[in-house]
Amino acid sequence: MSRCALITGITGQDGGYLAEHLLSQGYEVHGLIRGQNNPRAAIVRQLVPEVHLIEGDLHDQSSLIGVLEATHPDEVYNLGAISFVALSFKQAINTGEITGLGVTRMLDSIRLVNPAIRFYQASSSEMFGKVRETPQNELTPFHPRSPYGVAKAYGHHITVNYRESYGLFAVSGILFNHESPRRGLEFVSRKITDGVARIKLGLDTQLRLGNLDAQRDWGFAGDYVRAMHLMLQQDEADDFVIATGESHSVRELLELAFGHVGLRWADHVVVDDRYLRPADVATLVGDAAKARRVLGWQPTVSFTELVTMMVEADLRAVSSARAARAAAS
Amino acid sequence: MSATRRRALVTGVTGQDGPYLSELLLGEGYEVHGMVMTGETVPVDVPAAVDLHTGSLSDGAALQAVLSAAHPDEVYNLAAFTSVAGSFEDALTVADVTGVGVLRLLEAIRHLDPATRLLQATSAEIFGGAPTSPQNEATPLCPVSPYGVAKAFAHQIVQVYRRSHGIFAATTILYNHESPRRGTAFVTRKISIAAARIARGLERELRLGNLDVERDWGYAPDYVTAMHLALQQETPDDYVVATGETHRLRELLEIAFSAVGLDWRQHVVADPGLLRPSEPNRLCGDASRARSRLGWAPTREFADIIREMVAADLDRIDQGAVPPVPAAARTPAPG
Repeated sequence: MSRCALITGITGQDGGYLAEHLLSQGYEVHGLIRGQNNPRAAIVRQLVPEVHLIEGDLHDQSSLIGVLEATHPDEVYNLGAISFVALSFKQAINTGEITGLGVTRMLDSIRLVNPAIRFYQASSSEMFGKVRETPQNELTPFHPRSPYGVAKAYGHHITVNYRESYGLFAVSGILFNHESPRRGLEFVSRKITDGVARIKLGLDTQLRLGNLDAQRDWGFAGDYVRAMHLMLQQDEADDFVIATGESHSVRELLELAFGHVGLRWADHVVVDDRYLRPADVATLVGDAAKARRVLGWQPTVSFTELVTMMVEADLRAVSSARAARAAAS
Repeated sequence: MSATRRRALVTGVTGQDGPYLSELLLGEGYEVHGMVMTGETVPVDVPAAVDLHTGSLSDGAALQAVLSAAHPDEVYNLAAFTSVAGSFEDALTVADVTGVGVLRLLEAIRHLDPATRLLQATSAEIFGGAPTSPQNEATPLCPVSPYGVAKAFAHQIVQVYRRSHGIFAATTILYNHESPRRGTAFVTRKISIAAARIARGLERELRLGNLDVERDWGYAPDYVTAMHLALQQETPDDYVVATGETHRLRELLEIAFSAVGLDWRQHVVADPGLLRPSEPNRLCGDASRARSRLGWAPTREFADIIREMVAADLDRIDQGAVPPVPAAARTPAPG
């Protein structure tokens, strides 16, 4: 009998990659989708038509119980969250409710419906915030600097707590930044590669950005979802940092992205204070030694390959959109 | 009423600390407002001068209304779902009130009057699984109960609002603090009541969970002093408030029962059914920062606190106000 997985956050970047990966492993995959006539459902149906979409909301515990009862998953991947740090400052309560308490609602639902269900919680390197050591590993203390980071720290702690107190197979993957051509346009990596494509193709002349000195550990989302799956296939539940171990500044990303299309970033980028976060996190770099050792996981896409892949994809997307508009007019 | 009279709002005014804090603030000349939940019984310990408002941390609109009406200079957030044991059964409610409730309060302050100062009563439970002892303000958070996890959320969100929004929001990281007004579900009070009732022949035995639990137990009136001091500084910060000494539950039993001339070993029954799903490590606080910056120090010895509690429960019994047999208390909860 094929194994069955439920993914929350199916409409996000990781949801799609994880669904593809699980389908390739022979899973039956269900995706939780919220809202009435959610416009992103169509995108998911186009990308991964084999996924069964089911309505439910991390805000509504009974809906989660209903979904677990209807789908009988062996594994639940909780990727659903308000995941954009800047938005979390504006909608802090909602972020606490969904990104934080949503985890408890799912854990409680699992306890009630079937405590044998294995649970993956998408934790984030934003929990480290003002870092106490570099690189960060599974034992590095949290010092979150945004409502998003605080809510993710809550989700992480409650996952560990349910594992230790109730013996649930509940794990937390502390994922550092991971990008792809499917990354949302609100995230800086994609904002840059999309901007590069638009500037290269003459649709724009400048790109407005916040802190260019921010250092992040950027990996490829496709690599990271493999780690999520591996964590639920172990004999014992545990937490793992997933990262490349290299950090690069926004400036380096600009250099590579503009350089790939033969442009100089300094001619196009304007620093705009409006994009500075109230408290920016300076340098994040992860030590994934435990994941490499225990899970046998390692990244396959380098930073340069990642940026090139994203610029190429955006060049294709922008030019086909332009062609479609030209054909219509 | 003078135009310059300072105003304070105390949430959780009906708990152990609320009445002590209200008394302190009234003594300092504050106009004191208290927040109570709809239908909540207000104990006689809450001073009559406290102006009561109905509201709840789980209701952002109600919180805003209370803040608008009281327009406080200082808010003391003592409200929380405080039962550690109960938090295992209802993690979601705990997170909503104890965790996100503080976020609702911070948002209300930010929008209504960002000059309002906030004192968050953090609990030492945020350090539940701390590998090191004693703990100070820099000790990594390691909560081991849904209550501790929710308190950690609140503690960290206060730090975010302090840094990112410039709110004067301070925290006191409170270790266990006891008094004759301690709630009957807490183990110290459960013991003082049992010692008094057994001494008066109203009871024969006391069932308890883990007798080897070790805690840093202080005196509640001392701890509310630290809360007030934390808001009178130039800048907001976090302060561990603790005695720095730990005692075992066995020692507490020894003191409480000898105070009424009894041997605890003849009355206490260890009940494994009262153990928590997970138990914090040794919690002991290093209050050096509070001592040096706030000039704070505990005023009461451990044994004196316990004897005062037993004496108060004996008095209550002798005056006909027999304290009820509390529902099964498991192990001690700070905060």
